[in-house]
Amino acid sequence: MGEFKVHRVRFFDYMPSAIRAMAFNRQSERLAVARADGAVEIFNFSDNYFQEKVIPGQDSRAVEALCWVDQRLFSGGLNGEITEYDLENLKPRYTVAAYGGPIWTISSNNQGTMLALGCEDGTVKMFEVLAEKVQFQRNFDRQKGRIISLSWHPSGTLIAAGMMDMIRVFDAETGHATHRLLVERGVGASKSREVVVWSVAFLSDHTIISGDSAGKVQIWDGVTGTLLRTHLVTKWDVLALSVSQDQSSLVAGTSEGTVIQFQLISSTVGQQDKEWVRTRTFKNHSHDVRALAHTETAVVSGGMDTQLVVRPLLDKVEKNTQESSLRKIVFPHRSLVCCAKKAGLLLFQFPEHLELWRLGESEGHGKPGDSLTVKTKPEKLIQLKRKGEDHICCSALSPCGGWMAYSTVSSVRLYRLQYNNNNIGITKVSRLPKDLCSVHQLCFSSDSSKLFASSSHSSVIVVALNQQECTYLHTLKPKSSSRQPVHLLFASEDGKWLATANTDCEIHIYNLDKLKLHCTVPVYSSYPTAIAIHPLTSNLVVVHADQQIFEYSLEKKEYTEWSRKLQKLGLHSLWLERDTPVTHITFNSRNPAHIILHDMFMFCIIDQSLPLPEAKTLLYNQMTLRSVPEPERIRHSHAFKICKNFQHLLCVRLLEDHSLVVVERPLLDIMSQLPAPVRQKKFAT
Amino acid sequence: MAKAKRGNATSSSKMADNSDKQAEKFSLMLDSSDDEAPEEVTFEDSKTQALRSMKQALDTARREKELLKEKRRKRQELFQEQKKRKLLPADVLEEIDPTEGALNNNTDLFDLSPSCFSLKGNYTVATLEERSMASFQQQAAEDFIQSRLYGPGSCRTTSNELLSLQNKKGWNKSAAVQFVKKDWGKFSRINHGY
Repeated sequence: MGEFKVHRVRFFDYMPSAIRAMAFNRQSERLAVARADGAVEIFNFSDNYFQEKVIPGQDSRAVEALCWVDQRLFSGGLNGEITEYDLENLKPRYTVAAYGGPIWTISSNNQGTMLALGCEDGTVKMFEVLAEKVQFQRNFDRQKGRIISLSWHPSGTLIAAGMMDMIRVFDAETGHATHRLLVERGVGASKSREVVVWSVAFLSDHTIISGDSAGKVQIWDGVTGTLLRTHLVTKWDVLALSVSQDQSSLVAGTSEGTVIQFQLISSTVGQQDKEWVRTRTFKNHSHDVRALAHTETAVVSGGMDTQLVVRPLLDKVEKNTQESSLRKIVFPHRSLVCCAKKAGLLLFQFPEHLELWRLGESEGHGKPGDSLTVKTKPEKLIQLKRKGEDHICCSALSPCGGWMAYSTVSSVRLYRLQYNNNNIGITKVSRLPKDLCSVHQLCFSSDSSKLFASSSHSSVIVVALNQQECTYLHTLKPKSSSRQPVHLLFASEDGKWLATANTDCEIHIYNLDKLKLHCTVPVYSSYPTAIAIHPLTSNLVVVHADQQIFEYSLEKKEYTEWSRKLQKLGLHSLWLERDTPVTHITFNSRNPAHIILHDMFMFCIIDQSLPLPEAKTLLYNQMTLRSVPEPERIRHSHAFKICKNFQHLLCVRLLEDHSLVVVERPLLDIMSQLPAPVRQKKFAT
Repeated sequence: MAKAKRGNATSSSKMADNSDKQAEKFSLMLDSSDDEAPEEVTFEDSKTQALRSMKQALDTARREKELLKEKRRKRQELFQEQKKRKLLPADVLEEIDPTEGALNNNTDLFDLSPSCFSLKGNYTVATLEERSMASFQQQAAEDFIQSRLYGPGSCRTTSNELLSLQNKKGWNKSAAVQFVKKDWGKFSRINHGY
């Protein structure tokens, strides 16, 4: 494999944002997740839980609730506005003010015709969902307290609203409140505080289930308005509830980080009378669980510890398979770090600013595993705060380090960097071509002469960079009529090719000399998570969300021999079972047979000159190979050389001087900066 | 009822006499259970007293009315003053309004001509950034969530405690995270390798 000097970087203070709300769309199997900074992420549950789309946040958006209506996504926020999102252009389509103060909850009826909002001023507002917008229809009877949560009865005729100290049942046609269910306050000190009904669920048999701040899950009869059963599940708050599609299972999320399942089963076998019985308790979070979704086969939870956890239910999936394993999605599924290979610079993307760092230098040599002394410490050169309220969508740094660019949903900004001795100068390029407005991905060419920006309808805008200004060159358009955004861009080292991948799983290759489409790679059903073009052989290497690897020859417009061999043999099962996607592919200038790729827990050097691992051979064999004598080694080594020394990787790159840059973000560092968890007294501590 | 009759200035003395006698009788009847003899109050005295109290009442009412009028007058004056101050001095108005001669005296001085004019001197117009009602409400809502989840009575601990607990219960017990992490703690560490 070779010896590498490794820059082990831990100064990227990446902090993910807490999960605030989520909504699952059963038809498309997509989960929409809203974060505390206003960002909305879409995960594809049918393709290995890949994070398909990210809509960047905004300072004032403060999303409190998300709701799907068919394939349209709506959110309500504390700024009092309903936002509909454009999932093809990854930005808000429009916002409508509700004029009820902060919106606490938003929910649509089963028919998909109405949106009900729960507002701070005590009104439940009904909005009609029209083709191009939502329109205010009417208010329900105004109540004296704020409406924190609401749930439609599946028939669409009744709404249960959780408020302070009570639950109100409304008739959806007249808007009058019919029942008032009084919720008991907590005991002891909390008797003086009002109890907040954080979440309600209305079932088709007119049962209402509520979760409140006193830690109770209560079952009510919605017809008579009486309390049937109380379950005290925690000392703290029950923050979220979610009911399965068939209404036989319910999950409740608490401030302790536990998710408690209730199931509608009969207490004795064979009896007809069913009741809600507490069955399972999952403790997969260290902090409050604020959002839950109950899918057909799994429980999805998220909260203040920023991790999205998918817990498959063992009575719905086969045990001990890939399907039944717990999944934790911690890091974003795309790269937040740009590396200028020639200049040894790193650009870190934060939602509100960018940081440019120069890597340190060390001297001396050592044996594998040694830590070398640092001669020059790494230095933060620039911290650039973004303008306006919108968060940064994507950023790029040219390989020579002379240009830096970032984009938000509303604008693109380009900067020229000059280095004189120890000073660095940054100047903004003022007049950009007006086509560069809503851009999803940015990429510089390897000679820093061009900037590629992906725009709407999977097109790519090419602008030329010279000295201090930039001029529009061309717009590259694919032949297909795809409206999906491009999420991956790669410009080849020789400047001849540009590869793009979009969320319709299409990969297009453009010839930059002729500025037109060269070919389209045959569509594979899983999302491409990383693409790269080999500098010498001009082969395109693609890794997909289901961990499949393909190599496609651009000259011959067909899959390469090596790729066919790999597909025929099949990838090793341990490789396919990895649960984090490969986010970057790079190559080794000293050894053309090497492909270097990484995911969150490992980086791997695939040596195409070595034989591929069989299904029964040990995949992670680097440690054993080291202990075996030299002649034996050649017999046992295979193409996949995996190194797990560095964990929680955000980025792995190879610099021009053949040293590896590894950006780690230990999860412990993230955990230590999270807000306060609940205090739990444990025995013997 | 007896008192009212006594206080009525237009009542004839005869009537007064009668009522007085009646009152005396009434008071005698009332005090029949008392041991003390009632006070002897002559009619003249009570009449003057009544008249005096009535006059006093009228006086105070009049005084109050006067005070109120005064207050109102003062306030009106103040408004006039402010109004005058708000307007530009009369000569400037003359200068800028070309049709000044045609203006009626009764025209409201606020009706400036709609044509634009430049301000003399170094003046610039700037809009103050006011926090709108929506953002105040948003802040209040965020404070509500914060106080319910993290406020008093929420029984919270620190991340350090949580990590310490995990450390204590784990297989490999190591140093507390607060000492190992270089970001925490006030002293800096010299690092080999970063």
